[in-house]
Amino acid sequence: MSTDAGRSLETEGLTKSFGGVRAVDGASVSFHHGKVNALIGPNGSGKTTFFNCVTGMIRPDSGTASYRGRDITRKPPHWIARAGIGRSFQLCRIFPRMTVLENMLVSVRPRTLLARIVSARQRADMERARELLTRVGIDHLENTEARDLSYGQQKLLELAGVLMAGPETIMLDEPAGGVNPALIERIGSLVRSLNAEGKTFLIVEHNMDMVMSLSDHVVVFDRGRPIAEGTPDEVRADPRVLEAYLGI
Amino acid sequence: MRSDSELVTGHGPRGGRTAVRAARLVGLLALIALVIAFPSMAPDSFILSVGVVIMSYAVLATSWNFVGGFTGYVSLGHASYSGLGGYATALLILRADVNPWVAMILAGLIVAAIAVPVGIASLRVRGASFVIVSIALVLILLLVFQSWGTFTGGSNGLRIPRPFSDDVLRPEQHERFFYLHAALLAVALLCWWAINRSRFGIGLKAIREDEDKAQSLGVPTFAYKLVVFVISAFFTALAGGLYALWFGFLDPIFQFSILVGAYMVLMSLLGGIRSLFGPLLGAVIVGYAMEFFKAQYGDTQAHLIAMGALLGVVVLFMPDGIIPALTNLVNRLRPQAASIRELSAAELAEQRREAEAADDTKEEVHR
Amino acid sequence: MSGPLLLQSLVLGVLLGGLYALLAAGLTLYFGVMRVVMIAHSAFLILAAYLAWFFTRETGLDPLLSLVFTVPLFFGAGVLMQRLLISRLRPATLTMMSVLLTFSIALVIEGTLGFAFSGTHRRIRLPYSGAHFELFGASIAVVKLIGFGLAGFSLVALYLLLKKTRFGQALRATMQHKDAAQLVGINTDRVAGYGFGLGLATAAIGGTALSLDSTIYPSLHWHWIGPLMAVIVVGGLGSVPGAAIAAMALGLGQSLLQIPLGTTWAQTFFYVALFATLMLRPQGFFGGRLAQRF
Repeated sequence: MSTDAGRSLETEGLTKSFGGVRAVDGASVSFHHGKVNALIGPNGSGKTTFFNCVTGMIRPDSGTASYRGRDITRKPPHWIARAGIGRSFQLCRIFPRMTVLENMLVSVRPRTLLARIVSARQRADMERARELLTRVGIDHLENTEARDLSYGQQKLLELAGVLMAGPETIMLDEPAGGVNPALIERIGSLVRSLNAEGKTFLIVEHNMDMVMSLSDHVVVFDRGRPIAEGTPDEVRADPRVLEAYLGI
Repeated sequence: MRSDSELVTGHGPRGGRTAVRAARLVGLLALIALVIAFPSMAPDSFILSVGVVIMSYAVLATSWNFVGGFTGYVSLGHASYSGLGGYATALLILRADVNPWVAMILAGLIVAAIAVPVGIASLRVRGASFVIVSIALVLILLLVFQSWGTFTGGSNGLRIPRPFSDDVLRPEQHERFFYLHAALLAVALLCWWAINRSRFGIGLKAIREDEDKAQSLGVPTFAYKLVVFVISAFFTALAGGLYALWFGFLDPIFQFSILVGAYMVLMSLLGGIRSLFGPLLGAVIVGYAMEFFKAQYGDTQAHLIAMGALLGVVVLFMPDGIIPALTNLVNRLRPQAASIRELSAAELAEQRREAEAADDTKEEVHR
Repeated sequence: MSGPLLLQSLVLGVLLGGLYALLAAGLTLYFGVMRVVMIAHSAFLILAAYLAWFFTRETGLDPLLSLVFTVPLFFGAGVLMQRLLISRLRPATLTMMSVLLTFSIALVIEGTLGFAFSGTHRRIRLPYSGAHFELFGASIAVVKLIGFGLAGFSLVALYLLLKKTRFGQALRATMQHKDAAQLVGINTDRVAGYGFGLGLATAAIGGTALSLDSTIYPSLHWHWIGPLMAVIVVGGLGSVPGAAIAAMALGLGQSLLQIPLGTTWAQTFFYVALFATLMLRPQGFFGGRLAQRF
């Protein structure tokens, strides 16, 4: 696991404070490539801030982050996205006044000037978009404006949009938040099948059933830093985790 | 679920879409015919000159809409670029003896080059600073062009020789400039349309909808914003240059006026910033109303009040503009579109999101 | 450069900076509570100056007495403006649309002033208008000093209000983290309304101070809004002391540059500072971090 091939996202002493409150406090974490990793912790333990620091949405005060051995600290979000990390947002963010298909086409990454000025509706892109929409099960809505979708459908669209960008690692911020059990099941099975195809996952989640059934590796956060990690069973048995959650 | 998908991709709507496309083509041809015929329909030279003014507003508003419509960033200071375009054209002709038309194009390029550092300063951070810089730039340019009299003519203004020879009479002048403005408008519209359908355009629209999200999907937001901003400045400068050649006189007070920039915003917003023809429609309505009031009541402070009130009403009650409002109306009249089920789904999503937001903030507080 | 001249410029710079600081504090309040860039701030400033002038013309009393009416009036107008207009805007487009909305309010005010009082330049004649005293060779006009005293007194009062009272605490909490403030039981809508009211009250006081020693006309507000915008950007959008420090620094800078450059070119100092700040340190120089992601 020490070779670059096995390395995924790693941080070293990552710190971010907001007006005197240390949301992330010297967090050193490493996640496993090719696995489903979960990041859990009580409310306010800094998981989302950690997420945002790593993906470049927030600039950390100090510390470093690297991905597959490559430094990604303080790089802009689009750079990190191009390095192969895709992410979803906690409250599900889509482009409300664009159609479902256009939402998908945003993720296409033209490299040359010519590729940028051609029509966005290239046959190959459209086909790939439809494939992914079919996979998450909202292909029948491709011409609907995204704001007219139900919340669950928006979550699926967001996931499909992230996949469209072709990342090898996918960070999901509370994929089960605010959706019904049937949809949680659907998202869970999508994660499983995508992982089987080689995608690495990093999931921040409150739903313990989902975390325990999906993950290979669990990191527990409390007060802005990891306090325990291991397999779901190991973490469940760890007294420090109980303490953090129950405040004993 | 199946029946839904058939509704969207089945044969019926496709027939409908061809009909819509045909209607659009007919509308476009009618518009072109109207523009071509206007000079011969205009009863007198004054009406024709009003036509030139409105056409100039249409080019300005459409140029503004490159940055406003695609990215959602509102510039109140686009008069900077039209003014600079006018002055650069004039100064190239007067001080360097350049051919007027070449001068106009050169002026566009110079202004585009000036827009690069301005864009870098104002687009790196989100939101407010862009507007602030846009206003500041107009004020600073007014100051400079008024004070630097030896080069710019200062407060006395600058007279520009006519590009056509003197034996071309006034109505003929107006007609030529009307067509020249129409041609520039056509180029600007074509460029907007091309961007709108391109991958670049999809990225820009994503920035307008949610900049963070766009960036997280790999869109280089800053570079995209900067490029479209420079394109916008370029077209605005061309419009300023062309207008200067027609009008023949430049006064810094009118060139670098916040009001001119505000007209561009009002026109675009009123017509609809997300529509290709929105700014044109807005320019026709606002431009006609302005000329009408000026002719009727002369230049009073009342036009400030009227414009302020109209802008306020548009911002508060119809920020999407006329064209989307009409489209919605048409869609509502068609039976199958916008079903109740979809609406309730959207509302449900909104409720859920609010509940989520409350949860989210709880997390922040407990920290 | 002679000593007295330098001293004169320094004193004038400080006196001017005081007024800028008060007005910039108002702008910071709006931005803090609602993320609104209030373009109409300087239009209200000129409106208050006109009201002071009108008050003096009609009653013959000292313009300072007009504050008794204008301050409550402006406070009420600010609350109403926030509750009836600004709060109607969609959060997603609030920053841009609020600029347009407040811009349209500025136009209406300018137009109304022109309509009511014409475009003629106006000036209050006071018994003490010409009075001034000497300080180490620098001459200081009494009216300027009164204006500065008014601004300084209001700033201190505002500072104490923010730091020492429960309301001030609620206001600061709302500025820093609105959602969190809501959850600890602060009615942020009401606080935001009062924040707007306070902001407009600074314009009322500033306008009265301005009317003492300036010639006023309806379109004068454009000369104020640019420098004020520069001040809040340099100060870092969102910190009242930051805005005040930046205002002082820029006011002084302008005043000193007037000696070698003359009044017109010295005005460009604000804009140069604005561009330089955005290029070098877009988050501002004095403790503001709110501008970064909004």
